[in-house]
Amino acid sequence: MRFLPLVENEVLKLWKRRRFRLVLLILVALIGIIVFAQVEGRRRYGSRKDWRIDTQEQVARMRNWLRRGQLPATQRRWIQFEIERLQYHLDRNINPEETSGPLFTRGFANAASYLLLHLLAIVFAADIVSSEFSQGTVKLLLTRPVGRSRVLASKLAALLLAVGLTVLLGGIVAYLFGGFAYGYRGWGAPVLTGFRLSGEVFDTAAVRAVPLWQDTILVFGLAWFATATVGVIGFMTSVLLRSTAASMGTMFAALILGTILPRLASSWEFQKYLFVTNLPLPDYYTGTPPPILGMTVPFSVVVLAVWAAAALCVSFAVFARRDVLA
Amino acid sequence: MAEPVLDASHLTKSFGKRLAVSDVSFEVGPGEVFGFLGPNGAGKTTTIRMLVGLARPDRGRVRIQGIDLADDFSRAMAHVGCIVESPDLYPYLTGRENLLHFARMLPDGAAARIPELSRLVALEARLDERVSTYSLGMRQRLGIAQALLGAPDLLILDEPANGLDPAGIREIRHLVRALAADRGIAVFVSSHLLSEVEHMCDRVAIIHRGQTLATGPVAELLSRAASGFRITARPADRAAEALRSALGGVERDGDETVLVSAAADAIPGALRVLVAAGVEVFAVERRASTLEDVFLEITGGETV
Repeated sequence: MRFLPLVENEVLKLWKRRRFRLVLLILVALIGIIVFAQVEGRRRYGSRKDWRIDTQEQVARMRNWLRRGQLPATQRRWIQFEIERLQYHLDRNINPEETSGPLFTRGFANAASYLLLHLLAIVFAADIVSSEFSQGTVKLLLTRPVGRSRVLASKLAALLLAVGLTVLLGGIVAYLFGGFAYGYRGWGAPVLTGFRLSGEVFDTAAVRAVPLWQDTILVFGLAWFATATVGVIGFMTSVLLRSTAASMGTMFAALILGTILPRLASSWEFQKYLFVTNLPLPDYYTGTPPPILGMTVPFSVVVLAVWAAAALCVSFAVFARRDVLA
Repeated sequence: MAEPVLDASHLTKSFGKRLAVSDVSFEVGPGEVFGFLGPNGAGKTTTIRMLVGLARPDRGRVRIQGIDLADDFSRAMAHVGCIVESPDLYPYLTGRENLLHFARMLPDGAAARIPELSRLVALEARLDERVSTYSLGMRQRLGIAQALLGAPDLLILDEPANGLDPAGIREIRHLVRALAADRGIAVFVSSHLLSEVEHMCDRVAIIHRGQTLATGPVAELLSRAASGFRITARPADRAAEALRSALGGVERDGDETVLVSAAADAIPGALRVLVAAGVEVFAVERRASTLEDVFLEITGGETV
C-alpha cells in the first residue's frame, strides 16, 4: 500500500473543511490589521527627527531609569541588555528602527512566534485525529487494509504540511502587505545576528552582520520548527483525548501558561525545560533576551526536538494499540 | 461447509470487571448470510469490533480467509468490507469524494468500481452532493457501496436495518441476498430485529449477555420453538377435554378457542378426534413459530 494516497486523503479532508480556510483567512486579516495599525501609528506620532538622536535619547532615558533604581532585578537586566544592544547599533551607525517590507516580514515571524502561529497550528492539530472519533469515521479508517501506524503517519504528514503552509503563507502575506506599506526592497540590508547572553552580560563578541534575507530564512525556519513542535504536541493531545474541544483547551492553556510563567515566575529555572517557554526562539535569536537566563537557540531547539519526539512516541504507541470503542 | 471465510473462535473480551463477550465462536462460509442476533447490549458490537480489529480480544482468534487478524491485519482486512455500528462517513465530503477517499486506502482498481457500485446502491443521481444532505437510508447505502469497494469476500454489516423505513429494510435485504447469491460473498449481519434476521439469513447465532446461546440454520432453530395451532370450536370445553386425552399440550385461551402445542401434522388427527366427540369446528389456525419464540424460550422470557 502506497503512502502518498493516504496523505492525499488527509490533506483533502483538511482542505475541505471550513476550519482550514478560516485559519488562513484569519492569518491574512491579522497581518493586514497589523500593517494598517503600524502605518497609521507612524503617520500620527512618527517623529521626523534623525534616528540617531532618537536612539541616543532612548538610551539616555533607559540609563536614567537604571540610575533612579527601585526597579525589579529582572527589569533592570532587560533594560541593560536593550541599552547595550542600541549602543552597539549606534556605534556601527545602523538604524535599529528602520523598517522595510523585508524587515517587517522578519518582525512578523518574531511577533507571531509568541502565540499567533501556535494557536493556528493547534486549530488543525487538535482536530486531525479527534474529529475522526467524534464523526465515527475512525471505524472505517481503521478497518481498511492499512496499518494504524501508517494511517497516523499520513495524518502527521498532512499536519506538518498544513503548519508549513501556514508559516509560509504568513511570510508571503507579511512581505506583500509590509512591502505595500514600506517598500518591497531591502532584502540585502545588513542586520546583526549572533546576540548572546553569557551570564549577565550581553555578549557581543559573536555579533556579525548578515544580509537580511539570510536572517529572515533562519527566523522563519525557527518559527516553523517551534510551530511544528506545538502541532505535534497538539497531535498527541488529539490522540489521547479524542475530543477536539478538550485537546484545544489543553493546548491553549499550555500556551498561555508559556506566556505568563516567564513574566510572573522568572526565577523558577526549571521552566526552561518546558516546551512552551522555548517557543519564542525566533525572537531571542534576533536579540531579545530569552525568557530565562541561560537559554540559547540551540538549547531551545534541542528541548523542542525532545518534546516533539516524545509526543510522537506517545501518539504512535497509544494509537496503534488502543481499542476503538467510540 | 466449504472452507470458512470468517472463522472466529473463542472470542472473549472484558471491560474492567464486566465480561462483555465470553467464548463466542462461529464460522461463516462463502455465499452464506449469517445472522448475529441479540438484544442491545448483548455484546454484538463488541464482537464485531473484534472481528474487524478495532478491539483486541482478551482471548480467542479471528481468521479471515485463513489469515489471522492479529498476525497480518492488512492482508486479512483486504478481504473485508464493513459497516460498524452506523454508516459514518465524512459529512463535508460528497458521496463520490467519500468513495474515492476509501478507494485510496485499497489496492489500485477500487476507484474503477465506483460507477458500478453507485448504480448498485441507487445513488448515482446524488453522488456529487455532500453526505450531510443525505437521508439515513442513503448513508446506509453509501456505506454499503464503500464496504464493497475492495471487492470483499466478507461483508460485515452491523444493524443494517437501523433507522430505515420498511421499504429501505426490504431493499437492503434484497441487496444482501443478491450479494451472497451472485457474488458468493460471505455476509455477517448483526441485528436486534428478529424478523429481519429471519428473512435475511441462512444461519443464525443468538447472543445474550455476551454468550452464544444457540447457533444453527434458521429453520432448525425455528423448529426448536413450540409451534402449534388454534382451534375455534363449540363447545370449547368438550373440545379441550377430547384433545387433552388424545394429544396433550392443550390450553383454553378464549371463550371458543383451544390452543394446541403440537406440530402441524397433528392437525388432521385432532380434527378426527373433535368430529368423533361431536364438537363443531369453525376454524383451525396454524401458529408459525418465529425467532422471537425461539429467543424467548432460550433466554427464558427476556424480550429483545
